Amino acid sequence: MNLTHEQVLDLAAGFVVGALDREQEQAVRDHLASCDLSHDELAELGGVVPYLAESVDQVEPPASLKARILAAAAADVEARRPTTAEPSQAEVVTFPTEAERETRRRRTSVIGWSLRIAAVLVIAALGAWNLRLQQDLNSARQPANSVAVLSAEGGGPSGIALVEADGTVRMAMRDLTPTTGTEVYEAWVIAPGGAAPVPIGGFTVGQDRVGVFSAPRAGAAAGVTLAVTREPRPNPTAPTPPIVSSGVASTP
Amino acid sequence: MTDPGGRAERGAGTAADDADRDVLERVATGELDALEELYDRYRTMAYSIALRITTDAALAEDVVQDAFLGAWRNANRYLEGRGSVKTWLLSIVHHRAVDAVRRRRPTTELPDRESTPPTALTIPDIWPEVAGRLDRETVREALAGLSEPQREALEMAYFGGLTQQEIAARTGAPLGTVKSRMRLGLLSMRRVLVGDGGQLPAHTGERDDGGWAES
Repeated sequence: MNLTHEQVLDLAAGFVVGALDREQEQAVRDHLASCDLSHDELAELGGVVPYLAESVDQVEPPASLKARILAAAAADVEARRPTTAEPSQAEVVTFPTEAERETRRRRTSVIGWSLRIAAVLVIAALGAWNLRLQQDLNSARQPANSVAVLSAEGGGPSGIALVEADGTVRMAMRDLTPTTGTEVYEAWVIAPGGAAPVPIGGFTVGQDRVGVFSAPRAGAAAGVTLAVTREPRPNPTAPTPPIVSSGVASTP
Repeated sequence: MTDPGGRAERGAGTAADDADRDVLERVATGELDALEELYDRYRTMAYSIALRITTDAALAEDVVQDAFLGAWRNANRYLEGRGSVKTWLLSIVHHRAVDAVRRRRPTTELPDRESTPPTALTIPDIWPEVAGRLDRETVREALAGLSEPQREALEMAYFGGLTQQEIAARTGAPLGTVKSRMRLGLLSMRRVLVGDGGQLPAHTGERDDGGWAES
């Protein structure tokens, strides 16, 4: 849709308040990007719009929303990372290249952030509980249904794993010895009652000693033990002792 | 386009605006802490406008999540743009909320969700220094001072997510009348909020496209 300058002026008020259909809106944008004539009135009208928003009664969102957004953003980071050379291998999570430049500060911040998510999840779970008391379950959504804090005896690698309602595991670990060659860290789900460990995927660790990893729909749930081992090569079928770090997923 | 970014020249911007830009720059590098900070600053504003437009708490949450993820993914695009972070974020929230209510209305054609560009209108801050600290009551009075048809047209558009054609159909007024009510309503509010002179601060002269060219 090509618009003339006059047509754009005619649509200006509708444009600034969002009252055009999306096709018209894009046509106005295209025009503005290429037209050298004055669009002062459009800017004048547009300046009023933020104040329309200011007139609205202020309402606090539920506390659980923050956890949802941060969890989604974290998942988004992983989704956007460059694909590895071996896509069929167990999911190996590294940070995007741009992140490499800011190494330690950012990675430390991810760990600190993950721990904060766990705290937020506790609040979210309580909030969701209250919500259920008040309204139908279908509007209550939780980003995770349990959290495992992974640790090693006598200190050493530690981290946190979030287990989502569909069994997805998201894990962030620190103080891991960097992997070399074909080495990977493998995550395992161990069902309660001494079941055999099930591998859910591996990840490599660089000099920053941090590993972030996620396994979609890994069959995890509250009550399982999540464990990490160091393996000589990817896709192990049984864990190579010792367990580097482990913890039980529990509902906050 | 003489002032891309515009930061150095925007000396009149408030300290809060500068702090927001710093946070957004960190968001652009993928810092989750910064996203959390941004969320904490604007969650109430974002949720309030989303709730007002969608009138549905669950949908409003989805809209806010969608908007902050949009900001998370497109923060670098803001850095190339103009206006305050607050206004930018607000415009994303508004855009997403309107999409959500239009999607809910079967009569409105809307592009597939996935094909919708994850950016929003960039609403230029024309006079943040003049009007930046107007309180809610003043704005409400400005809105209340409009003629009934003008106020109705603006509210149906901005808060109702209706298009000009839809407003015309609902009110029975010709399309041209709806357009003119919206325009006159905005100009009238502007007069009340800025004063009769309505002169733009000098720095807007640098932004000859009004900041609209790129979202």
